[in-house]
Amino acid sequence: MDKIRVVGLKKAFGATVAVDEVSFAIGHDEFFSLLGPSGCGKSTTLRCVAGLEEPGQGEILIGDAVVHSTRTGVSVPTEERPIGMVFQNYAVWPHMTVRENVAYPLKIKKVSTTLMKEKLEAALESVGLSRLADRYPNQLSGGEQQRVALARALVKEPEVLLLDEPLSNLDAKLREHMRFELKELQRRSGIPILYVTHDQAEALAMSDRLAVMNAGRIVQIGTPPEIYSNPADRFVADFIGLMNFLPCSVISRNGETAVVEFHGARVEVPNPGGHRGRCVLAVRPEAIRLARAGAVPCRVEIRSFLGNLIDYRVRAGGEILRVQTPSHVVFDEGDELALTIERAMLFGD
Amino acid sequence: MAYGWKQRTIRYKPYTISQLRRILDLRYLLASACAIFLLVLVVYPLWQVFYRSFLPKGVFSLQYYEKVFTHPTYYRALFNSIWVSSATAILCMGLGTVLAFLLMRTNLPYKERLRALVALPYAVPSFFSAIAWIQLLGPQGYLTRFIVNLLGWESAPWNIYSAGGIIFVLTAHYFVLVFITVAGALGRMDASLEEAARASGAGTLRIMRSVTLPLVLPAILAGGLLAFIGAIANFGIPALLGMRARFFVLTTSIYYALAIPDFPLATALSGMLVSVALFFLAFQFWLQKGEGRYTVIGGKSVHPAELQIRSGRIALFTGTVVFIALISIVPIASMFLTAVLKYWGAPLAPQSFTLEHFVYIVNLDTSRRAIVNSFVLAAAAATVTMLAGTLISYVHVKLKLKGSRVLDFIATIPYAVPHTVIAIAAILAWSRPPVSLYGTLWIILAAYLAIYIPFAVRTTHSTLQQIDNSLEEAARVSGARLLPRLRDVILPLCRPGMIAGWILVFMPALRELTISILLYAHGTETIGVVVYNLQDAGYREVAAALACIVIVMLIAGSTVIKKLTGGVSGV
Repeated sequence: MDKIRVVGLKKAFGATVAVDEVSFAIGHDEFFSLLGPSGCGKSTTLRCVAGLEEPGQGEILIGDAVVHSTRTGVSVPTEERPIGMVFQNYAVWPHMTVRENVAYPLKIKKVSTTLMKEKLEAALESVGLSRLADRYPNQLSGGEQQRVALARALVKEPEVLLLDEPLSNLDAKLREHMRFELKELQRRSGIPILYVTHDQAEALAMSDRLAVMNAGRIVQIGTPPEIYSNPADRFVADFIGLMNFLPCSVISRNGETAVVEFHGARVEVPNPGGHRGRCVLAVRPEAIRLARAGAVPCRVEIRSFLGNLIDYRVRAGGEILRVQTPSHVVFDEGDELALTIERAMLFGD
Repeated sequence: MAYGWKQRTIRYKPYTISQLRRILDLRYLLASACAIFLLVLVVYPLWQVFYRSFLPKGVFSLQYYEKVFTHPTYYRALFNSIWVSSATAILCMGLGTVLAFLLMRTNLPYKERLRALVALPYAVPSFFSAIAWIQLLGPQGYLTRFIVNLLGWESAPWNIYSAGGIIFVLTAHYFVLVFITVAGALGRMDASLEEAARASGAGTLRIMRSVTLPLVLPAILAGGLLAFIGAIANFGIPALLGMRARFFVLTTSIYYALAIPDFPLATALSGMLVSVALFFLAFQFWLQKGEGRYTVIGGKSVHPAELQIRSGRIALFTGTVVFIALISIVPIASMFLTAVLKYWGAPLAPQSFTLEHFVYIVNLDTSRRAIVNSFVLAAAAATVTMLAGTLISYVHVKLKLKGSRVLDFIATIPYAVPHTVIAIAAILAWSRPPVSLYGTLWIILAAYLAIYIPFAVRTTHSTLQQIDNSLEEAARVSGARLLPRLRDVILPLCRPGMIAGWILVFMPALRELTISILLYAHGTETIGVVVYNLQDAGYREVAAALACIVIVMLIAGSTVIKKLTGGVSGV
């Protein structure tokens, strides 16, 4: 059963349309991300779900309840929506201790003292903050403040958890660590998460499913592998992971596949879009094989060692391509090689 | 749509209309409460002044304005107000600009310490300045006798009780406004403009004249207008120095008209005063808006080149120090000296010193009552205006309700209205049935609330803007409705700003004169009223003793504010 359902959501600020006809649904223990560049409408969508923005049009359901419907005029205020939320800047109240911050939703609910104590300890325990309960936020690190915000969002046992770029203010190492921790927390509690981020690696790593947004619209919804290996359009292909875009021309078409030519080499690619003539070949860096002999002659321009793999920039004809190989496949800068395209996608020019 | 789902019957659990209304109403209820507060305390009284000046007997008539323009006593007052304030403004512009240049852009030593001292006269209430300058330059004043003896004159060739005396004391009080605006503009000016002129081969003095001065001209003018507006609205100085010589300006004429009492005349005079003040205030706003075009003065703080004074540096420094000491420290010193001398003008010998004036003032029923009254009034005014100001700012800054700008605007109106007029407005609004408060502390409080609400709104405005929206949104997500989140999140976060703002209202209210002198009755005297009346009745030493007590309290309060705001504001 769906925990969140958004149907035909629209929101405009003055003349600019921030969110346009956005629809999606989140299952009961799903980690769902809205991914897109800044200004694509992902945060506005999340804020509409939270009730912090009033949608211009559309319907939002949380759990069983309609919390917003333009059609019937229902609009449940944020205060009464069964949600927990973590803000980008954590929004931990500086005048309250960790304990007071986390206890606040319970205090508002007028939970009895014994129950409050029990829930509070459990919430602090779950994010590992019991030790710091009497500290003030200014005595905490960014990561610890983050946990306070998380505990505060979870303590009222919401139906869904909304996370608005919660990791973007943390340093790289901590961010990586928090990714696993969030995921683990979600598995443990079984709470559905709506996660907003502009970091595609983060979205791919954590999500069960994700929606890629651009210019206020959802471009594609799918699991991370689906989106990575089968981007719906050139924008998604470019935004998710690394991609080489190469001009090419279609030589022959045969149903769902086509044969294209790129600098004398012929590559067979799936062509569900039925493209013809001049096209763009999209190739992942790891889908290119470098060898001493092969289809397209090329030359290694720059090599950079990334640890688990090696990142090459190679020149083939007039194009610079990015190629990634396992770190045991070593060539030198200036080597004259040949490349073979193993997998590719075709987009219209 | 790429993603689809099974159609199923959506089980609506709609919120009832009444629930929605309850949620909505709370916001509008808060806005309405703010609106009513402002309507009652600001709009209604001021409307009374306007309305009564045109409709003295229920019929439209310009007869009182006619009276102002045909009766020499009154048109002279209007004329006096304008020329005295203009002269003051011009002197302030000269003095303030020269001092700002000297203390910002030259190589004089101890510039920072001197800058702090320059602002001191403005921290002392203006009628205290008048009292101090009477002690110094009056017929038997300390400085008068010193100079007369030194030069072997028969008597001093000046008279402090005159238009000249008024202009002198007004200038000594208000030049600070020009100094602050010009010093600010000089501090914010982009050094590269001067460097460009230097690169073109211009000498420092020439750069100052042809580049720097034209660039800070708008600031000089803006400061001058502030000084004009302050001078024309001032009551204490022309009252203590002018009325004895029967030299009247608008504010003192209003006081006089109320003593007759001739309300319609007082309202017509108030109308004139407001018109003149508003005209110049609008001009000043326009100038400040225009400053945006001078993008050269903005943002970055840099340290532009200093004018290197070589010959005469010591002389210039000495002159500046003597001048600043004369204008900042000597009046306060004179006040303390008068308070501890047996009588004003006693020879400076050990047996002349006494604390009896302090003992007298502390035991005087009127002054004890006045101290209690002033504390109660100031505390009440500060508390109510800060709370109301926070709520008004909250409606505007955070709730962003439609029309909340209007609330903000109305709350700033009293800033443009001279206090004399606010007092007249309070009399007209609150001294007749159904609400007759005349002779009580309530009417003074009502007027105080009107004059201090602009400060409260302005300070809380910036405090609230510094509170990130997400802090309140987090409270909403936690389930807190409007009132709980005001109580638990917004107000506690505003507290430091509110406390600083509270003191900023409390301190001027504690020493307030203009409103209370027009509204007090037996039993509702304030400290200002008692000091004024004692001085006016010739008890200079006792007046000085009470004034000294107030000055000590003001300095203490100012120190607290500096601590609280990290030295950003403070009087």
